Amino acid sequence: MTSRRTFLAGMLAAGALPTPTWAEAGDPAFLSAARAPDGAYRLCGLDARGQVLFQQPLPARGHAAAAHPTRPEAVAFARRPGTFALVVDCRSGQIAARLDSPEGRHFYGHGAFSADGALLFTPENDYEAGQGVIGVWDVASGYSRVDEVPSGGVGPHDILRLPDGSFVVANGGIETHPDAGRAKLNLPVMRPNLTYMSAAGSIRSQMELPEEMHLNSIRHLALSDDGLVAFAMQWQGDEYEAPALLGLHREGQEPLLAMAEGPMHDAMQGYAGSVAMDAAGTRAAISSPRGGLVQIFDTATGALVEQVAEADACGLSCGAGGFVITSGIGHVIGYDTGSGRSDWQAASEMQWDNHLVRIG
Amino acid sequence: MRRPLRTALIPLAFVLMPPGAGQAGEFDATVTDVVENHILPRFDALAEASEALDAAALADCTPGPALKEAWGAAFDAWISASHLRFGPTEADNRAFSLAFWPDSRGATPKALSALIADSDPAVENAEDFTQVSIAAQGFYALEYMLYDDQFTGMGTPAYRCALIRAMTGDIERTTLAIASDWHETWAGYLLPPPSGPYRDEDEVLGELFGALSQGLQFTSDTRLGRPMGTFDRPRATRAEARRSGRSLRHVELSLAALRDLGERLSGDDAELLAQVDEGFQTAQDLAADLDDPIFAGVDDPSGRLRVEILQQAIDHIREQEAANIGARLGVGAGFNALDGD
Repeated sequence: MTSRRTFLAGMLAAGALPTPTWAEAGDPAFLSAARAPDGAYRLCGLDARGQVLFQQPLPARGHAAAAHPTRPEAVAFARRPGTFALVVDCRSGQIAARLDSPEGRHFYGHGAFSADGALLFTPENDYEAGQGVIGVWDVASGYSRVDEVPSGGVGPHDILRLPDGSFVVANGGIETHPDAGRAKLNLPVMRPNLTYMSAAGSIRSQMELPEEMHLNSIRHLALSDDGLVAFAMQWQGDEYEAPALLGLHREGQEPLLAMAEGPMHDAMQGYAGSVAMDAAGTRAAISSPRGGLVQIFDTATGALVEQVAEADACGLSCGAGGFVITSGIGHVIGYDTGSGRSDWQAASEMQWDNHLVRIG
Repeated sequence: MRRPLRTALIPLAFVLMPPGAGQAGEFDATVTDVVENHILPRFDALAEASEALDAAALADCTPGPALKEAWGAAFDAWISASHLRFGPTEADNRAFSLAFWPDSRGATPKALSALIADSDPAVENAEDFTQVSIAAQGFYALEYMLYDDQFTGMGTPAYRCALIRAMTGDIERTTLAIASDWHETWAGYLLPPPSGPYRDEDEVLGELFGALSQGLQFTSDTRLGRPMGTFDRPRATRAEARRSGRSLRHVELSLAALRDLGERLSGDDAELLAQVDEGFQTAQDLAADLDDPIFAGVDDPSGRLRVEILQQAIDHIREQEAANIGARLGVGAGFNALDGD
């Protein structure tokens, strides 16, 4: 790893790489935050088979990351209620820029670039007002803060860019304040939603689940090539009353909720940590680290079709033939939905954190 | 394949704590003891009792004392093994086909009503019966057919008889398959040196410790927590196997099984063993004194408090004694599971 970085740094210094691309970063297929054996936090780049290509130190625990659409640059976000995000040049290992959330705001751990890569959008908490906002950052000027728009709800957690360049935001609905740590302040009245916004950040439409599901915090998002949105939820009520933890939605239509039967659903313990969907949008997967389980659903019927038992599984992404799963004990698994087996497994000393972010 | 839904068996370890876990082979004796004296005898007993259950149903399928007794004995054997949820129990959803509970949305009575209303011929063929709703299979579904007035008189006696025999036959085949897989492959994976899906001893220890920790959690959160509900809204009708009056019995059986596992995982550490015994004895004494077989008492504050004290004693085992066992073995709770977002 070091030799690659040294080599690339040398190339850079010599001016041999005028137009940086992702290929020069060793073509990482995935990014993930992790905890190293010494307890320090890292952002890692992984190849398509789960091998670590590079690792960068983070000042505190990370959460997810956003990969720039063209430049070999990733923004690693602090876990909420963190206030930093680091722009990492994935070729040199250098920190290209640091973003600090403005006074009165903190990040939620996710972000998304505009289609042309000129702007970065970050879900944030305006915690005095108890409202969610989306911060807008200008990439060309070294990630300067240029704007802020309402997120359309409370606790905006994840954001994704849709194929047409617009965005979808998961407003989790839960109000928190840094003075109270991660305590949930508004459960009786929480109202999560999915908010669709234009490429410029103006709210276009919103989807709310029925009232009886208002305790189902919509947290994480995944997308098919044609714009089907999969959203994963975390139930805040009685675990034995937990409704579906996975929904599928197209703007303007009714959502389809997907859940397993009886104790198989209960095995998820009311908690989905990550969500992924295959490119064709036929299968969606959610993970439950508490249940040590990944459940894979048919997106047309909402029926459970497969499950994968893996202790402390959380990070999920689509991969060749199926899904890639990471766990807190350092496993990376390439799971083939056709054969119902793991195609490959990689082991690492890293404890993989909540999300596995696919590049490209 | 048993049924279309499959569970991939990519194992599986609990979580390895950073360093100090010890040298490979340090816990050979512990692992061997657990496999040979805790795991294998339980799945052998389950298969044997399930064979007797099927024989009883073939001899007389009416829900009389003989069939109920055989069902109770096999169910006891399942509860005493039900914390060992990895490997052979998870292939082809075997554990869920034996034990579809908790059933929060009433899938079992719905599925049974549908089978009986349609006189579904799947009961005539063992392979066909594996394809009916998983909620209509196993010990909990059989309880409806043996103890619930709504079902003991539903449809024709001949159909009910065929359905009961389909269930007992399926239970017998499933438990035999689990026992056979344990003997033929999975015991060998766990026994030193670790093999198959287990990369090293730490992963084996993580699996065994996970069974203890998750077994305690299930008994506390589900067997007791479900009927307890909240103080303002106790939910006695959510108690496990209440139709047959077995709710408290399941708590006692699981505590006995988990105590045996906890003792074996304490190995030759006498001080730890004494702590583990004391923790379990406290909980077992509270359960024995409860005198409330289906937790009906949760409906009034003093009855609920007594169940809550038992729950706290079980949580105490998990937080103290089990945690100390984890420390001995060098395993702990998950990074993501502990603190998600």
